[in-house]
Amino acid sequence: MTSRALAWRTVTAERPRAVLAVVGVMVIGALLFDMLLLSRGLLVSLRQMLDTAGYDVRIVASDGFPIRSAIPHASAVADEVARLPEVREVTIVRTDRAVVQIPGRRPVEVALVSLTEGAERRVWRLAAGRDLGSDVRTNSASPPAVINRGLAEALALGPGSTLRLRVIVSGAASAVPATTFEVVGVADFEFDSADEYAVATTFDAFRRARASTASDDADVILVSSKPDVESSATVAAIERRRPDVRAYSNAQLVARFDENGFAYFRQISFVLSSITLGFAFLLVGTLLTVSVNQRLGQVAALRALGLPRRRIASMLAWESAFLVGVGGLLSLPAGWALARQLDGILRQMPNIPDRMHFFVFEPGIAAWHLGLLAATGIAAAVYPVWIATRLPIAATLRLETIS
Amino acid sequence: MTPIVEGRGLTRTFPMSSGPVTALRDVSIRIDEGDYVAITGPSGCGKSTLLHLLGCVDTPTVGSLLFEGRDAAALSESERSRIRLARIGFVFQRFFLLPMLNAWENVELPQAEIGLNPAERRARTAELLEYAGLGDRAHHRPSQLSGGEMQRVAIARALANRPALLLADEPTGELDEDTGEQIADLFDRVHADGTAIVVVTHNAQLAARARRHLTMKRGTLEASES
Repeated sequence: MTSRALAWRTVTAERPRAVLAVVGVMVIGALLFDMLLLSRGLLVSLRQMLDTAGYDVRIVASDGFPIRSAIPHASAVADEVARLPEVREVTIVRTDRAVVQIPGRRPVEVALVSLTEGAERRVWRLAAGRDLGSDVRTNSASPPAVINRGLAEALALGPGSTLRLRVIVSGAASAVPATTFEVVGVADFEFDSADEYAVATTFDAFRRARASTASDDADVILVSSKPDVESSATVAAIERRRPDVRAYSNAQLVARFDENGFAYFRQISFVLSSITLGFAFLLVGTLLTVSVNQRLGQVAALRALGLPRRRIASMLAWESAFLVGVGGLLSLPAGWALARQLDGILRQMPNIPDRMHFFVFEPGIAAWHLGLLAATGIAAAVYPVWIATRLPIAATLRLETIS
Repeated sequence: MTPIVEGRGLTRTFPMSSGPVTALRDVSIRIDEGDYVAITGPSGCGKSTLLHLLGCVDTPTVGSLLFEGRDAAALSESERSRIRLARIGFVFQRFFLLPMLNAWENVELPQAEIGLNPAERRARTAELLEYAGLGDRAHHRPSQLSGGEMQRVAIARALANRPALLLADEPTGELDEDTGEQIADLFDRVHADGTAIVVVTHNAQLAARARRHLTMKRGTLEASES
């Protein structure tokens, strides 16, 4: 009978101990798994969000990204970038804050968005009505608007509805007259958050709402590289052509976010992961040590019968592996279920985009998690193995017989 | 003829917090092939300590112990393990069967350890369980066996690798008189089949079955009679 088979028989023969250990490791492992997911979740989620829109490079005005700073003469910059051989598509994004006024309702603050025509398909998914475009005609003289689903539900708006919108200057509604828009479509925006309302319109209507027809500023210019071109090559080409702007690939943006905004999550995750690993070590170590102490007579007898130390050590190591292995595997679904609950709670924080998640499953994280638990199981088995292999056979047999 | 085991001037002292305790003093003993030796004496006189030295699970503080001509003290722990596995069988007062294994598996374990192939193991295990009168209890776990049955499984296990020497430490200590008799009968058979036996016991009937009787008192061999 192999050590593994002996260990399995021992574990299954002591069911209450095994269940206690497996459940304990499962609970602790679930917490560990969640901490590991949290340590990278936002980064992975951010990267997925950035990639989904189909733009791999972002151009901003200064090195202070993501601090908002307008790009002057954005159309000229976009035209120049669009002519680069590495570039497939360029979209200018302009945003502003505004207040939507509906008679008889409380004013609602929204993000007013304007995109280069044709880019809509990448930035939102139409849920009802029509899209913006050069051929769009409204029933009135009002310019068209596509609103996000949250605003449509909050103000009971839909295609054909009208809304009056006034931009905000320095935190208050500006003196510029309100502009009336006709809603032509309702959409899910890629960067929507539960508490964020958005109104997208054409560049002309955007300028009209801001009463700055001459302005050609933009918040960000989105660039899509050609299929066979690396993002880094596009970034380099843009910065060579226009040294007055900064270009970032999605990977660079995520790296900057990791360095700046994400350090807290990493630190929290590290501390809590270490603590959970410590608990796993103590739990398995204690259970195995107690179990070995209860079986000292058996172990001494096996040694007296001629079973070598390595056989005893290997049997105990397998016992640990079974307890930690089964608990560790169960901790994956348990941890994932818990992660979804925690994610739901954390995403209730304000300004979190709907598609952003704190916990994102990655096979690599699951492998890391199982590896850490395996290492903990091995470490936890060291002391009980030492007790079992170093016990004085004769003295133990004598003590076990008289006790 | 080389004795199976020979101890010369064996002394075993245990370090204790209250000072060293000498459990065995200057004991010399020789066990030959075909021997059946009973060691008796009051509790704490050093019988089990002597048995452990003879079985190479302990080493003397002073003196030498030769197992089949090899100095046990000069052997490594793994070499002593190998001798115990291949040449010595142990029977304990408390049986020490593995509770998660059935009788068959308990008997098979030392054979697997020594490297016997599965077919040989099957044949030997079946033979031993029949020999011990447990052919119909092969698939029962220790918790499903009586004390006498457990001790017979333990004897079968001790004989698994055809040892030259069977050492038994109070093998009837946990058993009633009738069951003790059955165990004594089994030892007689084992001895008759050519295995040397050393049994440490308080059981006068069991001791009476032996061919040689040794009495111990305060760590020394007081008397020896054949």
